Amino acid sequence: MTTEAFVKELCIKAEMEQEGIFARGREEGWLEAEDEVFKDRSITRKNVARICHMYLRKVMNVADLDMNGANKLKDLYDCRTCANHIAQVYMRGIMDAKNIRREGEFLWFDLDGEDDDAYNSAVIDRLLLVHIGDHVHQDMSGS
Amino acid sequence: MTGPSPIDDHRLRFDDFDNADIFAKKPRLPAMGWNSWNAFGSGNTEELTKAMVQKIKELELDRHGYEYVVLDDGCYHPERVNGHLISDEVKFPSGFKAMADFVHANGLKFGMYNDIGDRLCSGAKVGIYGYEKTDCEDYIKWDIDFIKVDNCYYMWDNATFADPENAKYSYAPNIKCIEVGGVKYNAAAAEITGTRAGIKDGYVSFIGTFDGTAPDHSPVGSRSSELIFEVEASEDGIKDLFVTYASDAVEGTGQWLQVAVGEKMYFDALLAPTQSQEAFTVSPVIQVGLKKGINKIRIMNHRRQENTLNSYAEIRRELENAGDRDIVFSICEWGKTQPQNWGHKVGDSWRILNDITFQVGSDGNNGTAAWEGDYTTAITSQYNKAVIMDEFAGLGRGWNDPDMLVIGMDGIDNIMCRSHMAMWCMMNSPLMLGLDLRRVTKGDELYNIFTNEDLIALDQDPLGIQAKRIFTTYECDEPDKEYIRDNNRIDILAKPLANGDIALGFFNLSQEKKTDDPSVSVDQILSKIGSKAAGKDLFANAKKYVIKDLYTGEAKENESQVFSAGTLDACDSRVIRITPLS
Repeated sequence: MTTEAFVKELCIKAEMEQEGIFARGREEGWLEAEDEVFKDRSITRKNVARICHMYLRKVMNVADLDMNGANKLKDLYDCRTCANHIAQVYMRGIMDAKNIRREGEFLWFDLDGEDDDAYNSAVIDRLLLVHIGDHVHQDMSGS
Repeated sequence: MTGPSPIDDHRLRFDDFDNADIFAKKPRLPAMGWNSWNAFGSGNTEELTKAMVQKIKELELDRHGYEYVVLDDGCYHPERVNGHLISDEVKFPSGFKAMADFVHANGLKFGMYNDIGDRLCSGAKVGIYGYEKTDCEDYIKWDIDFIKVDNCYYMWDNATFADPENAKYSYAPNIKCIEVGGVKYNAAAAEITGTRAGIKDGYVSFIGTFDGTAPDHSPVGSRSSELIFEVEASEDGIKDLFVTYASDAVEGTGQWLQVAVGEKMYFDALLAPTQSQEAFTVSPVIQVGLKKGINKIRIMNHRRQENTLNSYAEIRRELENAGDRDIVFSICEWGKTQPQNWGHKVGDSWRILNDITFQVGSDGNNGTAAWEGDYTTAITSQYNKAVIMDEFAGLGRGWNDPDMLVIGMDGIDNIMCRSHMAMWCMMNSPLMLGLDLRRVTKGDELYNIFTNEDLIALDQDPLGIQAKRIFTTYECDEPDKEYIRDNNRIDILAKPLANGDIALGFFNLSQEKKTDDPSVSVDQILSKIGSKAAGKDLFANAKKYVIKDLYTGEAKENESQVFSAGTLDACDSRVIRITPLS
C-alpha cells in the first residue's frame, strides 16, 4: 500500500475530506513532508506507526501511554525518532509485533518492513476505535 | 561507495587519540540554550521557534547564559533541491536564513542539525555524507553558530538504521594465526589487549571497539582490543606476513583488518570475505618491516572510531573552509564509538549514550522523562555513565554530553528536576533546555530550577573541571572509575572552582529517603581533586569555611573540616559551595 492510499483510506474511514489532505495533515502536525513528497512509495511499518500515533495525538486528542509497556520489542530503541510512535501503536493494539524466534519470545516490530493492504486497512480500523482513556491492550505476542 | 576512505591525517588515528594534536578550535565552556527536540520532536515549526525566542527574551534566559536556539531533526524538506538543503516549507516557510536572522535580531545564537550518514534520523534523505562542502557553505551563508551532528544511517558502522552488515567495517575478522617469515604464531597464545576480544575454539574474535550506545559497558579504560604477536627478528628487514582469518559482517566479526608493527601501519583494508565466520583462509601477503630484536605485530581494527572521527572531521574542515565563523560543534553519535577517546580532536562536546528520552513532546504535549530505567532513557542512566567520565572532559578539550535537559517533562517531579539540573552543572554538561517555554513564568518552580545562578556558575566556572565522584555509599574501591548502575546509593561529587572554592554535590539516586548522612573531610576531598584545585594550600589550611547551600542561598560557617548533607529525600540532593577563610 502506498502512503497516499493509506492516507486516503484513513480519510474515508474517518470521514475526512480527501482533497488537500496532505497539506492539511502537515498543518495539523500529523503528516510530514515526506508523506506528501514520497506519497507513491510503499508505506513502511514505522511510517504507519508515526502517522497513526500523530493522528491519535493531534486529531483524536488521545494522550500517550508510558512507553515502558513496549520495552519487550527488541528493535524499539533502534529508532530514536519513531520509538514512541511504535510504542504507542503497539501498546494500544493498533499494530502488532512479530515473534521471530521459534522457541521463547523475541518480539520484533520490523521498522522498515511493509504490510499488505488488508493489514494496513485493519490498522486504520483499530486506530479509529481508540477512545480517550483507553489503556494498554491485551498482550499481543506477535503474529 | 565502496568503503570508507583512506585516512591520511595522523590526528584521526587511534594511536594519536590521546595526544593534544587537535583541529583548531576555540576553548569554550559548555553550551547553553534551547533545543527543539525534547519539546516538540519533529513537530517544531518557525512559529513555535519564534515563540521560544520571544520567551527566552521575556524570561531573560539569555542573561542566565541560555543563548543558543537550536533546530533539531524534522526541520528540513525530505530531499535535496538542486543538491541543497532547504527547509520544510510548511514548518519553516520563511527558510533558515530568515530564522537565523530572527534569532540574531533578538541577540541570540542560531543552531542547526544534520547527520554524518546519508539520511537524518527522521529518515529525510538529506544527511551530510557526500555533501559536506555544499552543506557547510550553506550553513555559513545561513549564519549558524552551532551545529549538532547525529549518526543515523551511517555507512561505515552498524549504527541506527544503517545496514547491519556494516559491522564488516567495525571489526577485524576472526584470527586463528599469523605466519611471519615462514614461522607460524597462534592467536590463542598471543596477547589480547583490552576486554573486548576473547578466545573461542582456538581463534580470537571481537577485535575492535565496544559499542557504547546502550548503558552496558563502562566508558573507562581500554574500550578496544588488539591482538599482539611478539616476533623476534635476527636483523632489520622486510618480511612476508600472512594472516589466517575468517570473516563475517556481524557485531564481533568483521572483514576490515589493520596490521601495524609498533605504530607503523602496513595494512588497512577490507579482506576478501570467507564462506563463514569459522571458514578460515589465508590472507594475501602483507609485507611488514621488522627491526632486529622483538617486534610487536598488531592485528587490529580501530576503524569504528577512526571512520566516525574522520566523518566528523570532514565537517569541521568544511565549516572552516567555508568561512570564518565561530561555531559550536556538538557531536551526537550517542557514545557508540567511545567518543570520549577522540571527540576532543574536533568537537566541543560528545553525547555519551543513546537518548535521555524517546517520549518527546509536541505542541500541547510535554513529553515524558524518567528518573530511573534499564536503558538510557532516564536521568540516572545518563548520570551513572557521565559521572565517571570527568577525566575525558576539560576546557580546550570538550565536554561529555549526557543529553539535553528534561526539566519540565511529565514523569518527573520538581525534586528530580532540581537534582538533574545540579548533576548536569556539576558535570560541566551542555545545558540545553527542552521544554515549551510558554509554560514558564518568571519565578515559578521550573524557572527557579533552570535559572539557579549558583548552579549555572558551577557549569560555567572558568576553571572548567568536571566534578569527580569522590565517595559513594555503594561498596566499591574506586568511586571515580567504577560504573555503578545500582541506584540504591548516595554519591558525593567534588568540583574545584577557579576562585579556589570547591563545590560538593550530595545526590540520593534512590527513590527512597536516605538517612545515611555520609560525610567527607577536607583531606578526603583534596586527596581526590587536590591536583586540580586552584588554591589547594589555602583550602587545606583554612581555619574555617563558609558553606553556601546552592538551593537555598543560605550561608554558614564550618570549622570542623567535615561536610555532610544530612537526610536526603528520595531523588533529592544538596549542593554546597565551600569557601576557605584564611
